[in-house]
Amino acid sequence: MTEAINEQIAVITVYDPGKKTMPWRLKWRGRSYQIVTLGYHHRVRQGRVLLHFYTVSTKTLTFKLRFDTEALSWTLEQISDGQP
Amino acid sequence: MQLPINKNKPLIMHIDLNSCFATVEQQANPFLRNKPIAVAAYTTPNGCIVSPSIEAKRYGVKVGMPVREGKLLCPQLIILAPDPPKYRAVHRQFSKIFREFSPDVVPKSIDEAVINFSSTTSLYNEDLTSIAKRIKQRMREEIGEWISCSIGLGTNRFLAKLAAGLKKPDGLEVITHENLLATYEKLKLIDLCGINTRYQARLNAYGMYTPLDFYHAPIMKLQKQVFQSINGHYWYLRLRGWEIDAVNFGRKSYGQSYSLQKHTDDPRLLGGLLMKLTEKMGRRLRHSQYAASGIHVAVVYQDWTYWHTGRVFDNELFTTQELFQKVMLVFNKQPERKVVAKLAVSCYNLSPVQGVQESLFDTDHQKRRNVAKAVDEMNDRYGEYVITPALMMGLEQEIIDRISFGGVKELEEVYAM
Repeated sequence: MTEAINEQIAVITVYDPGKKTMPWRLKWRGRSYQIVTLGYHHRVRQGRVLLHFYTVSTKTLTFKLRFDTEALSWTLEQISDGQP
Repeated sequence: MQLPINKNKPLIMHIDLNSCFATVEQQANPFLRNKPIAVAAYTTPNGCIVSPSIEAKRYGVKVGMPVREGKLLCPQLIILAPDPPKYRAVHRQFSKIFREFSPDVVPKSIDEAVINFSSTTSLYNEDLTSIAKRIKQRMREEIGEWISCSIGLGTNRFLAKLAAGLKKPDGLEVITHENLLATYEKLKLIDLCGINTRYQARLNAYGMYTPLDFYHAPIMKLQKQVFQSINGHYWYLRLRGWEIDAVNFGRKSYGQSYSLQKHTDDPRLLGGLLMKLTEKMGRRLRHSQYAASGIHVAVVYQDWTYWHTGRVFDNELFTTQELFQKVMLVFNKQPERKVVAKLAVSCYNLSPVQGVQESLFDTDHQKRRNVAKAVDEMNDRYGEYVITPALMMGLEQEIIDRISFGGVKELEEVYAM
């Protein structure tokens, strides 16, 4: 099931020159999640603000994250367990 | 005039992403892989399925089917709302890959493109099937490991598309002058791109029941009897692998349409929706530096009857205000008011915006245009709908971003981003 969340969350990212910068760990509602895979990353321009969308997965859940490059904030947009 | 099969090397490549939107969702979310999923315009039971996954297609789930019917065929079907910015990003990524192989790339829709290798084939020391395999590999490496596409090669766009459709998913097929007739032998008329059930019935009426019958038909029969137009001549050439579809039709109109989630006859709500459609259409019109003088409005009612009409005006329309005034004028010509299920507006008779003919009586004309441009610039800078006409208040969640079926024209705007 996919659920819209839209909450600001804490994210630790990894920057490795030559590789794609990606979220490594996130904290949501008091729980910490280790990110295992990056499914897809794309950018969207909303007016002058550039947003980065990362769809990342832990061992059991997929999170759609939005990074606002102007506010430098992370928002958890959606969460999914891949069930109907 | 009898013409032989085109015996040139097949240098036209058609690439089709398999179940595009659903595959992209499976790429992003690994927990959706190997499961029947479908992207639908709305996730509600009446929502229209726009992209079933390869797994869902095995249950008989098809494009255009309502969600309710899809769930009946496959109760475990996972329904997802569309994410147009994600699909546009994938389109831009695969277009970039294709353009590294040839400068002659024509996007046919959000998930299809044609690459012409006629001018670049001498640059490669390998045949086009190896290049096709490299393209598939690059797509997996750069977009995602779950992304697959079907590739077809032919001497014209028609045969390349036909080849791409022969094996799905992840196919790679070539139609040459040697296997063309054998390929036609295995297909039905309806499998040919451009032949729908009505054309099929027409061909049947003239004694053609298979693609081979169609291929063997004399040119004069196709031109004078079956199609009664130049289309008969085009089909004669197309079926033999000669290119007649490499034509770029220029932009003739801009339009927006919306299927109402809640059918209504409330004039206030319909006015607001028409304003939002007009604003979206006007933004695209102005962004392309055009003005229009024709307005067309179409309405589908809840009882599935429809009404539509168009009108050409003396003056050029450019601002949303000017367009909306005429849209309402046309909309109010409806002979009767019924509950509306779908609305569509479009503007046509386009002309490039250059100097504006000043009116003797309406001296604020240019000022209004400048205001429209300034508002567009503010929306470009601070995000869509930062400044909107008051009629659009409360409609933020209505007429949201969508990708049109087979829309090629809107891709101009994808590249402009």
